[in-house]
Amino acid sequence: MLNPMTSVETAHIAPVPNGVPHSGIAVEHVGRSFGEVHAVRDASLIAEPGTVTGLIGPNGSGKTTLLLMLASLVKPDVGSIRISGHDPVTETAAVRARLGWMPDVLGSWSSLSVRDTLIYTARMYAMDKTAAAARAAELIRLVDLPELADSPTRVLSRGQKQRLSLARALVHEPDVLLLDEPASGLDPVARAGLRILLRRLASEGKTVLVSSHVLSELDEMADGAVYISTGVTASAEALARSRASARPWRIRSSDVVALRAALVADGIDEEAIATDRTELLVALESEAAASALLARLVAAGVPISTFAPAVGDLEHTFIDLSAEDSK
Amino acid sequence: MTAFFSGVGVILSLELRQRVRTVSWYILLGVFVGLIFIVTVLLSFALNGFGSPNDGGGGVYSTIIYFVLLLGTLVAPALSGNAINGDRDAGTLATTQVTLITTGQLIMGKFLSAWITALAFLGAAVPFLIYAAVVGQLRVSTIVVSIIVLAVELGVVAAVGVGLSGLMTRPLFSIVVTYLVVAALSVGTLIAFTLGGLALQTTAKSVSSYGTEYNADGIPTQCSTPEEYEYQTPRFDLFWGALVANPYVILADAVPTAYDANDQPTDLFGYLKLSVRSAQLPQDQGFSYNGCVVGEKDSYPDTPSARSIIESTTPGWAVGLATHLVLAGGLLAGAWARTKTPAAKLSRGSRIA
Repeated sequence: MLNPMTSVETAHIAPVPNGVPHSGIAVEHVGRSFGEVHAVRDASLIAEPGTVTGLIGPNGSGKTTLLLMLASLVKPDVGSIRISGHDPVTETAAVRARLGWMPDVLGSWSSLSVRDTLIYTARMYAMDKTAAAARAAELIRLVDLPELADSPTRVLSRGQKQRLSLARALVHEPDVLLLDEPASGLDPVARAGLRILLRRLASEGKTVLVSSHVLSELDEMADGAVYISTGVTASAEALARSRASARPWRIRSSDVVALRAALVADGIDEEAIATDRTELLVALESEAAASALLARLVAAGVPISTFAPAVGDLEHTFIDLSAEDSK
Repeated sequence: MTAFFSGVGVILSLELRQRVRTVSWYILLGVFVGLIFIVTVLLSFALNGFGSPNDGGGGVYSTIIYFVLLLGTLVAPALSGNAINGDRDAGTLATTQVTLITTGQLIMGKFLSAWITALAFLGAAVPFLIYAAVVGQLRVSTIVVSIIVLAVELGVVAAVGVGLSGLMTRPLFSIVVTYLVVAALSVGTLIAFTLGGLALQTTAKSVSSYGTEYNADGIPTQCSTPEEYEYQTPRFDLFWGALVANPYVILADAVPTAYDANDQPTDLFGYLKLSVRSAQLPQDQGFSYNGCVVGEKDSYPDTPSARSIIESTTPGWAVGLATHLVLAGGLLAGAWARTKTPAAKLSRGSRIA
């Protein structure tokens, strides 16, 4: 089961000891403003090698700016960033050699073929022509674009461009991957393919940071998540509070009347039971409370066909933190 | 150093494939060649009507090379003026910048690509230049020097275009401003020279006297009282720097001049060079007219020959070319500073979050 707090907790409970290089991504109190706009105010996160970390936040929360700073394209005003132990500002080339970045803007050299695009990208990483061609062929198979390999990139659909963009980020076999909204525009099959690919890359020891606001999708692939809102990453305390807060569970029964009666009998306030079509929604404090309730309902002879959290873990935390923000 | 140039080579090859190998580019090249062909044919007919075939060839040659310069400077901004900001708009700039390609390699590659593209137009015009040169029996040095100057001037326009495309956010603006720079150099310099010279006039004093009585040998025995009068004269000599920043002037000035027996230039470039160099001569000295001296035959002040004027004045082409190279280098350096990553400043209007 996914634990959304893992990586953030690691960041706060076990900070990187000074002087010891961290092989994944380490960000400490980074801020960046553009004129009057404070795009990122105070972001801290750690992403460990071998994991997929989600970067979650509402539109305009500073996700892309944070990724641009990690990708060595924008200089932070304050704070420090380490990519595989290197500082993108002072050791730019070392960072770029180890970093793959897939932007949210899908640009491609429109008159070049998919294969040539990958060959040129490889050569920009100082690969020779033979190595570049071999790597391009490998990546075309990996992202499943063989039948379009020699078509110009302008004929690609959005989802196909997305896959080309991912292949481009992987050209030099980077240790750290930054993916900005990689799944938008992908069909379900390609999405599943992306999930499997990212898990495999993580299992090979790479550090993967994925930004998205499609939370159900991150739920399926991320080991941990970092929440960012109005340019600030969520603190460990806020996350702990959110984890402790009650969350809705969805219960379905063929006998809704009996279910409602059983819930009321179990001591749940009738007012607190929400009805969603044929299902009832009940707020429960924890997994343990849910297990106990399910056991009691089954013991009481209520026919239960569904008993599950109404929202994913990430979504729950996300909504909870957003609500906290607006308070 | 090798690593630097191999990176430049990757960008250059990518740019040439992206921008040059398109159908519209070949159409443009075809139209260009067609225009030069028409101009060459028409000029050959027109100039054959005037006297010697020598002058005809020289005239055709000078005109054709000017025409190539005109069309080249009209095409080059379109090829270079969106090199950097166009990529940013297409979303391909940042994906190049996160690779091991440095900003210097990126800008150098884009500049070389724009220059080479413009040189292709010069290359297409070379057969016509050779035809005119052969018909006009021109000296090899004239042909070689004018082709070199043309090539350098196209490079300057390419550098201005690439530089401005790095400095400005919108491709349309940078292309238009590149055209304005070309217009400022081609026409603006002439206006600045003329207006500047006319606006800054100084007072010159002229003395004139003439013989009132002559002896049998025609030598004056009595002179009139010298008359002095003052007049305003324009100071073009203070503005010759503006004039030599004109690419057409640079071209004419750089070509080595051949002189005839009277030390007069033999071709159009030579006459243009003479008038440009004459502009350097100070114009605030008064002159004496028919300085009459008793007992001496009337002497008219010697006008210096074309050769002595050209040989005694500063080579304006060197000054003009230096101005252009500083402009081009400065704009490329500005583009480099503006495009450098990690970026401390973002250009206005960039998306931020």
